[in-house]
Amino acid sequence: MTDNYVIETRGLSKRYARDVLAVDGLELRVRQGEVYGFLGPNGAGKTTTLRMLSGLLHPTSGSATVVGQPPGSPAGLAKLGAMVETPAFYPYLSGRDNLRVMARYTRAAASRIETVLQQVDLSDRARHKFKTYSTGMKQRLGVAAALLKDPELLILDEPTSGLDPQGTVEMRTLIRGIAREGRTVLLSSHLLNEVEQTCDRVGVIVKGHLVAEGTIDELRGRGGLILRASPVDRARTVLGQLGAASVQVKDGRFTLDVDPAQAAVINRRLVEAGVDVSELRESERSLEDVFLQLTEDGGRGKA
Amino acid sequence: MIASLRADTLKARKRTANWILVGILLAWLILLSYVLDYFIFKHPPPGFRSEVPPSVLIRIVFPENVIPTVLSVLGTIGAAVMLIMGALSTASEYGWSTVQTILVQKPGRGAVLGGKIVNLALTSLIVTLVLFLVAAAASLILAGVDGRAARLPAASDVVRGFGAAWLVLGVYTALGMTLGVVFRSTAAAIGGGLTYVFVVETVIGSLLGNTGGIKEILKFLPGTAVHGVTGTFPFSPTAITRGSGGGPALISGTRGLITLGVYLLAFIAISLLVFSRRDVGA
Repeated sequence: MTDNYVIETRGLSKRYARDVLAVDGLELRVRQGEVYGFLGPNGAGKTTTLRMLSGLLHPTSGSATVVGQPPGSPAGLAKLGAMVETPAFYPYLSGRDNLRVMARYTRAAASRIETVLQQVDLSDRARHKFKTYSTGMKQRLGVAAALLKDPELLILDEPTSGLDPQGTVEMRTLIRGIAREGRTVLLSSHLLNEVEQTCDRVGVIVKGHLVAEGTIDELRGRGGLILRASPVDRARTVLGQLGAASVQVKDGRFTLDVDPAQAAVINRRLVEAGVDVSELRESERSLEDVFLQLTEDGGRGKA
Repeated sequence: MIASLRADTLKARKRTANWILVGILLAWLILLSYVLDYFIFKHPPPGFRSEVPPSVLIRIVFPENVIPTVLSVLGTIGAAVMLIMGALSTASEYGWSTVQTILVQKPGRGAVLGGKIVNLALTSLIVTLVLFLVAAAASLILAGVDGRAARLPAASDVVRGFGAAWLVLGVYTALGMTLGVVFRSTAAAIGGGLTYVFVVETVIGSLLGNTGGIKEILKFLPGTAVHGVTGTFPFSPTAITRGSGGGPALISGTRGLITLGVYLLAFIAISLLVFSRRDVGA
């Protein structure tokens, strides 16, 4: 493992056909013990990346290490638990028997089966056949199978996909609990709310490129100021003299792209110029704003 | 590979379809090769014609002919059942997408497929054993019913016959497994496999079998090899030719064994190559 990176990719690319470049020179680094959100719109290359990291797809070029091993190697897989896309199990077997099959593949102790079933709260339905499970139960069985090996790294692809609100909250709680055990989690999603509430750091992938990476706060970046003042024309003139960039006015409300620390100076100058200030506060960009800006630019924009 | 074998054994044991297939094979053997034959030869229907009288033909169902009787079902229903079982073992993994679940577990791809191959080899061994035991039991019962003395085949012949039967079933199982890996579809693997076994080889053999060039090609096909192998275990008396493939074998038993061995190794090699290298979920 390089430094404390559990996942590290170097120029990782996957081309499906001559003109379909799903992942393009991806440079991804996931630190030990963090919940890393892999965010991107549908078709951005998230699942393709996770498949390459799990050893299901061979990269067209570039390389990767996963828990210090090449993707797909038995030594690496021994430390990796993965649920890529829809949880897939044998429909004619019960949930418990499906886990028995996976435990045999991984040589996990039989006692782990009951442990992970309790962890995902599926013990009561474990004797029923997988084909009778609801979407939420299938997702939980997928997480249980990924946990069987007691892995250092967990890769979860859209774990709340198809879940109702209650199921989503339960899955989110489960993931945070897994992270508290000291495991690293790479979580792919296109749901901003999910990522915002679950992840320590986020990487945004658009058209196969990683276009932004950082903590949620870092991605939101420096906020600006929201100002409501009248008369509007005089306020605009004063703000212009102050050099406030990107002054936008809508319904008497100014959005200023300035350092929020300048709020006191701006307030004083406006009052001195006879402008009534009824509102002056720091504006916050939501992750959604950042995401939309990044994706609208087609991966060329900067957060 | 032991871990994969244990996992695959559990999957195969719990799969109802596998038990149904074995049940169909045994029912076919008991009802068509023993019970029906016994009643037809014991009470020949009006107009029954054969160069060999029914009183001699009835010996097909007695213990002395256990080996050729078992071998006679291998090229038809035996081939179909084991081909389906082999195809289900691999193609279903793609159909249910469980291939991606098992490939992110600990074993490498070679070990995963290796476990499947060993499990299928053991399955075909057990099926062969059950076929011989059931055939022996049925023939002993019918001999008893008919008041005949039970004359069992020589032990060396039983061993040779058992080995030949295991090889034949193993080749068709491996064919199904390979088609499953290549097509990644249960319907395509089973449909394609059964079409080849029952239509392509049969039609070519019966319509064009005497054409010079086609005859040479037929000598390299698995069905011809099976016919060559089963031909080395004639019925007693040898005047009985029924059920051993129809017509004289195009190749010798030794060449048949070699051909089947080559097919078995080729199917395993193709499966391993494709399974190890091909992307999953692309």
